[in-house]
Amino acid sequence: MPFEDFTPPQALEKLGQGIKVFEGRLHPLTLIISLLKYGRALVPALALVLFGNRWAGAPLLFFTVIGLAATFIKYFSFKYRIENNELITQEGLIEKRQRHIPLERIQEITIEQGVLHRILGVVDAKVETGSGGGAEASLSVLSRAEADKFRQMVFAHAAAIRAGKTSTDETTPNDAVAVEPETVVIRRLAIRELVVAGLTSNHLLSALALAGAVWNFADDLLPDAIYAKTGRLISREAKHLADQGIEWAIAVSVAGIVAIALIGIIFSVIGSVVLFYGFTFSRRGDDLQRRYGLLTRRSSSLPRRRIQVLEIEEKALRRLFGWATLRADTSGRGRESSDDNKGRDVLLPIVPVRDVDELLPGIFPDVSFAETDWRRVSSRAVLRETVEISVICLVIAAALFFWSRSWWALLPLVLIPLAYWLFGLSYRQLGYALSNAYLRTRRGWLGRSTHIVPISKIQAVEVHQSPFDRWWGMATLTVDTAGQAFTGGGPQISNLPVLEARELATVLAQRASVTRYKW
Amino acid sequence: MIEKNETHHPDTIEQVEEFHLLDPRAIKLWRTRSLASFGIFILVMLAVAVSLGIAVPVTRTWLALGWGALTMIYLWFSFWFPPRYYRSWRWRIDARVLELRHGRLIERMRLIPLARLQHVDLKRGPLERMFGLASLVIHTAGTHAALTTIPGLEAEVAIRLRDHLVEIGGDDAV
Repeated sequence: MPFEDFTPPQALEKLGQGIKVFEGRLHPLTLIISLLKYGRALVPALALVLFGNRWAGAPLLFFTVIGLAATFIKYFSFKYRIENNELITQEGLIEKRQRHIPLERIQEITIEQGVLHRILGVVDAKVETGSGGGAEASLSVLSRAEADKFRQMVFAHAAAIRAGKTSTDETTPNDAVAVEPETVVIRRLAIRELVVAGLTSNHLLSALALAGAVWNFADDLLPDAIYAKTGRLISREAKHLADQGIEWAIAVSVAGIVAIALIGIIFSVIGSVVLFYGFTFSRRGDDLQRRYGLLTRRSSSLPRRRIQVLEIEEKALRRLFGWATLRADTSGRGRESSDDNKGRDVLLPIVPVRDVDELLPGIFPDVSFAETDWRRVSSRAVLRETVEISVICLVIAAALFFWSRSWWALLPLVLIPLAYWLFGLSYRQLGYALSNAYLRTRRGWLGRSTHIVPISKIQAVEVHQSPFDRWWGMATLTVDTAGQAFTGGGPQISNLPVLEARELATVLAQRASVTRYKW
Repeated sequence: MIEKNETHHPDTIEQVEEFHLLDPRAIKLWRTRSLASFGIFILVMLAVAVSLGIAVPVTRTWLALGWGALTMIYLWFSFWFPPRYYRSWRWRIDARVLELRHGRLIERMRLIPLARLQHVDLKRGPLERMFGLASLVIHTAGTHAALTTIPGLEAEVAIRLRDHLVEIGGDDAV
């Protein structure tokens, strides 16, 4: 390594003292865990090669052995250290790969502990930066204590580096970076709240997921003859039912639907409690920390200045009972399909709406949710939407009438009053509020979603006008920020009077340009 | 309207900059590009239609109609559309914000705070070079509007604008 002893003079100046701050390797239990993990695949692969189909078994065995060897090599060669203002990981036996991650760029450190990990007292730590495409560094596995120390080190040094620089970020006061960080619990979720979260989540989806899982499992286990048998059974029962009369058939179908819905509800409740058990949301200095999980314990640290957009989501059912979900986006992190199952898509899974203002200062200083003078969109918005839907309904009704010559064709017109009512609801939700450091936008019908964007996080502002918008003199304003993975596309306000939209866009862009954006 | 709080950030711009148009040669560039790329497609489609027509004579009328419609769209897109799209395009820049407006069916206005620029690319394809033009591609850290392109700038204007943007923006890259 020709550049091993080279340290950038600038970085030395910033930190002042010790160069190598922290150094470590993976925990020896890495080997045991990878043995267990691959062992599960190794046994059937071996069995297949020895007793079954050799051609199917050989590649399986080959890949398992390769995978096992890779984790062994990783264990013996992997080193990580915090040096100057970088996290440096190194791995590889023959070809040494080194990765330098500037501490300031680290967005989030997540720590995951499965059941096996818990028995052994070790954790998986993942380091995320704004580059997207998964974790930048995966430290799997570390001891619990080492992971905690590592996480503290990273954020403490990142804070030290920031404090050393001249900070001009208006949204984060300097004193927010506490000198002696103390953990302040913002919110703990009781089991009762998790049950509510499960009850008010999407049951149909969890019921379908459950049915899919059962089907997959059954498909692997059951012989084909069962299908034929079941088919015969169902057709016989159906015929039997039809003989009993239509009432019976309806009753059985309704009972079936109710049963499926009930199973869905039960499973969402269980899922919610298992996933979020013991949810603790706390702040340590500038770090937002979350810990949760019954079987797999998860925790993550997220510096709050990394939050680009905060969404307060009130889905229709939850809004009815006064509950909300908090979601946040950090820059550059794409959504992964597994995130929802891991609870990574929410900052706080459930909280009573009336408590949101109480805990908001922990996330964004000086901004409020309830006490806001919302500015509404164009007063003709309801008229516009109603006229547009009426035209569509009329066209459909006319077409149906000419085709069928029956008065039933006029049925779509019934939708118009219903639509008018919904648009009225929507109009009362839609709005925005601009303060010195934040833009808040709000939209929704039965449910509602409120976005809070610090003006310093605005990347671009767009106003677009469709031909219909032009007819009504309205426009839609969209605010672009880095990384909109979990907050449903970020802030957007439609039906604004066009001049107001343009002026608001200009004000936002002008203000954003005089603030400094920090990763 | 919007409550203006002058104490923190001055919202008013000292002087409102004039809008700039693209270089008029952009129309020629778009026409040539469309004729070249879409034209090949039209010819291929003609060959397909002719061979199909010979093989299955019944479909001839439909094939002729389909190809005719495609050609009309092609001619419209190549001749009628570019000058109108050109007229919809304008941009301006002041000390803090780059503003772009374009689009005929859907009119768009995009404002990019100059402090958010990540980097700026100057793009000159062979056709653009032939017409003495260049495009600027402006990158921000945004999600759905991370890339912003100003097409059909006169090469010298593009280079000057690029140098200006590089000098001004991106002071907060970290």
